Amino acid sequence: MLGLRRALLVLFALGILFAGLDVALVLSSNHEDQKVATAILGPLIGLSFIGTGVFAWWRRPLNRFGLLMTGVGFAWFLAGLADSNNATVYTLGSYVAPLYLVIVIQMVLAFPTGRLETLGQRVTIAAAYLDALLVRLPFFLLGGDISNGASGRTPENVFAITDAPDLAEVFDYTSMFVAVVVLIASLVLLVRKRNAATLPQRRALAPMLWTGFALVAFLGLAFLFDVLGLPNEMADVASLLALVAFAVLPFAFLAGLVRSRYSRAGAVGELIERLNNPEADRSLGLALADALGDRSLKLVYWRPSAGHYVTYDGRAVELPAPGSGRAVTEVEREGIRVGAIIHDASLADEPDLVRAVAASAALALENERLEAELRARLDELQTSRSRLVEVSMFERRRLERDLHDGAQQRLVALSLQLGLAQRRLQDGDDRSAGALLDAARDELGRALEELRELARGIHPAVLTDRGLEAAIEALAERAALPVSLGEMPAERLPPPVEAAAYFVVAEALTNVTKYAKASQAEVRIARNGGYAVVEVHDDGVGGADPATGTGLRGLADRLAALDGRLEVHSPPGEGTTVRAEVPCG
Amino acid sequence: MVTTVLIVDDHPTFRATARMLLEAEGYDVIGEAPDGTTAITETHRLHPDLVLLDINLPDLNGFQVAEQITANDGAPAVVLTSSRDSSDFGPLVSGSGARGFISKGDLSGAAIAKLL
Repeated sequence: MLGLRRALLVLFALGILFAGLDVALVLSSNHEDQKVATAILGPLIGLSFIGTGVFAWWRRPLNRFGLLMTGVGFAWFLAGLADSNNATVYTLGSYVAPLYLVIVIQMVLAFPTGRLETLGQRVTIAAAYLDALLVRLPFFLLGGDISNGASGRTPENVFAITDAPDLAEVFDYTSMFVAVVVLIASLVLLVRKRNAATLPQRRALAPMLWTGFALVAFLGLAFLFDVLGLPNEMADVASLLALVAFAVLPFAFLAGLVRSRYSRAGAVGELIERLNNPEADRSLGLALADALGDRSLKLVYWRPSAGHYVTYDGRAVELPAPGSGRAVTEVEREGIRVGAIIHDASLADEPDLVRAVAASAALALENERLEAELRARLDELQTSRSRLVEVSMFERRRLERDLHDGAQQRLVALSLQLGLAQRRLQDGDDRSAGALLDAARDELGRALEELRELARGIHPAVLTDRGLEAAIEALAERAALPVSLGEMPAERLPPPVEAAAYFVVAEALTNVTKYAKASQAEVRIARNGGYAVVEVHDDGVGGADPATGTGLRGLADRLAALDGRLEVHSPPGEGTTVRAEVPCG
Repeated sequence: MVTTVLIVDDHPTFRATARMLLEAEGYDVIGEAPDGTTAITETHRLHPDLVLLDINLPDLNGFQVAEQITANDGAPAVVLTSSRDSSDFGPLVSGSGARGFISKGDLSGAAIAKLL
């Protein structure tokens, strides 16, 4: 940084040296008509460009705008070489004289990034350079008159290799015609630039764009009057007005800076006033949009419990990707993230402004964040409540189906077998009656086992009587694959937490048996802070998706009712880990 | 003349027990079907005198099957059955073309004879 600063100081010193040389040339010139005016205004104009350019360069080292502005200043001094009495210097000065105009148009079109961003801009500026340096060259080589209407005796054209002033005029005329086309194209490009700009961009662009517009327009008129052969006075007036616009440009740039600083202070002040005024419009988003002059601004609120941003309505929202034309400024309050402002990418040029506005709105944003959080939770509660009702209906239907298809069928068969046995006994066929009674006992045993299994599914008695560890052990014993038990809580947990933990393990083990193709599973239940953390891990095929199964979703809802949450980590080929966290109250 | 029977039920245990019971009481069980569609094709193939038809089948329900079977002249008699009670089905039984309903637990040759 220090290196750049020193280099820029040297550059400015070089500018002063050039200005001095320019003054010397003007004062000693024997063909300059306006010696005093030129000797005073010339250096002032050149140095105002170099000074402002160096300042802009120092403030934004990566932005090429400062370079262009400094370049205009030096090109302006180069044009001053035409005041020299030395024929070579004079001819060179005359030849490069239009260069500062080309650079200044490039500068205005490239404002504020310093880069020509559209193909139209690049083509126009390339044409301008070609016109100034190439199309005009034959005019010099063919011995054109370069005295430029000066009354004194001007040095001769040393570039001339032949003397064909009429042919030279053709090239001069062509060059002026191309210049008019370039200037008209520049006017169109400036208007387009303004129209394409967003509101906050326009505020920063305005002084520079309007002055640049005046410069290009007057310059265009001056050339046009010349080309059309209108009286010289008209072209002179247009040239003078163009010169004034040119000289004003560095100040227009500075005015833009001051204006944006002034509006920055004003924006923050107005915002604070508005936020503290209970009568004012309550929408924080609108207040911020006004303060930053960005109507497209959106506020999003951080939900720490969910780990993502939500809108004011509580809906989850993704932040825009870099390069999407939108930028994000995060808002913190006392070091804690409360939300973010999604705004036009051009505002990223003024990070201090956005941060200042964000800081003054942090408290209000925190309040809105809490409201958004509440709304999001309400939404989730409503959804999970209706899902719980759905799940409970589903469970009841399943229970009815299980009873009907299982125990009830067995009892029906039992009844028929007993009836048959009775008939055999009446017929005196004891042996076949005995066989029927044996079959009936088997049937009764199976019916009892099915009823036990069903009762466990509703609420396992072992859980109530002997606690979580015993109930999980029983689950592990009944499982179709080896299940090892890890850490278990030493003390009893609240009954709803124990039930939730039990059903997480039961459902997870059922899924392992059904889908995972695992060789073993592991269960652990630990107390972590105020939470019971249940983990069931298997070494199966993975790829489980909790969104597709009613079982896991029902569990997630059951856990959500207790403020807990369920996570399923199941990368294909790497087994599945079901992890539930339930607050212990 | 011996009454020929087709037993339609999706539970094999019930089909086996019902066959034993009916055969013990002098009926001739000539076929079994586990679902409604098979029941209809088997009825057309075997022409039983009686179809003992469970109401809860995996594809069609017993009422739909009964309607189809009894639609033509010379159709077999249909007796509906279920492990539920007849009161669970209301007027559906009488509207189906079946001769009547016997709860599975009360199934016997005598109960069937009463309906025929």
